[in-house]
Amino acid sequence: MNTFLSRLNTIFAFTLSVMAALTFCCFLTTAFNSHKASVYLGTGKAIVKNVPDYSANREKSDLGFIVFDMTADLTKIFNWNVKQLFLYLTAEYETKDHQLNQVVIWDKIIRRGENAMLDYRSINTKYYFWDYGNGLKGNKNVTLTLSWNVIPNAGTLPKVMGEGSHKFKFPDEYSANRF
Amino acid sequence: MDLMQFLPESFKKIPCHMDYEGQKRAEQLFQVIIILFGVVGFIWGYICQQFSQTMYILLAGFALSCILTLPPWPMFRRKPLQWQKERPEPSSDQKEASTPSQTSQKSKKKK
Repeated sequence: MNTFLSRLNTIFAFTLSVMAALTFCCFLTTAFNSHKASVYLGTGKAIVKNVPDYSANREKSDLGFIVFDMTADLTKIFNWNVKQLFLYLTAEYETKDHQLNQVVIWDKIIRRGENAMLDYRSINTKYYFWDYGNGLKGNKNVTLTLSWNVIPNAGTLPKVMGEGSHKFKFPDEYSANRF
Repeated sequence: MDLMQFLPESFKKIPCHMDYEGQKRAEQLFQVIIILFGVVGFIWGYICQQFSQTMYILLAGFALSCILTLPPWPMFRRKPLQWQKERPEPSSDQKEASTPSQTSQKSKKKK
């Protein structure tokens, strides 16, 4: 504390300590939020094709095509400790070979300040809905759920599943390769 | 250190130290300022739900405490140390007259 530089050093170190404490307090103010919201999901037409999956084993696998609707109000999730939300739509189903299959078919990033009122009608999936085999044709129980990661300024990185899901079925016949 | 000798004499004469009392007061001053700005910034940031506001207000407190405590302002120099007066150096013939062991030790300590 006797020279200019040692005072500068002390003040800077003290400011950093206070900054760390404030950041921790900011985390504490939002640590017990549930980050939940209700989501409406629906599907329009669903078809399934049997085509070679060149991204995997090149054998003929089932490829599903669906269009879906989604309505959700996520504005309540945002607060001063949320930078952005990473939303992802998961299709979950069971096949003979594998009990649990999960495919992410759509995702979206919502930054704080952007529109968080989702209202989509008949939109296409963003990623291919490949099955690892032939489990989609005639599958009667495919569940769509929307989940999200909450990306905070400080603290934990919660993974939350939206309240509300939608079940749909794939037709019993393969569609022609052109539609 | 070598650069110091090129500085003008007037610049070198600028007092740049605080006394002990002043150092203590400076430390208390910046701690109070930074904590105060931190708390106010936290409340304000919570009200407008912008954590960046908290950080800006805290940095404003940092800047203010830099201005108030980095330069050795006169208010930190009010109680200079009262040094004892310089004792006259014993002359060479006196040294020889006294016992050699004690004087040699004393002169070493002084250096």
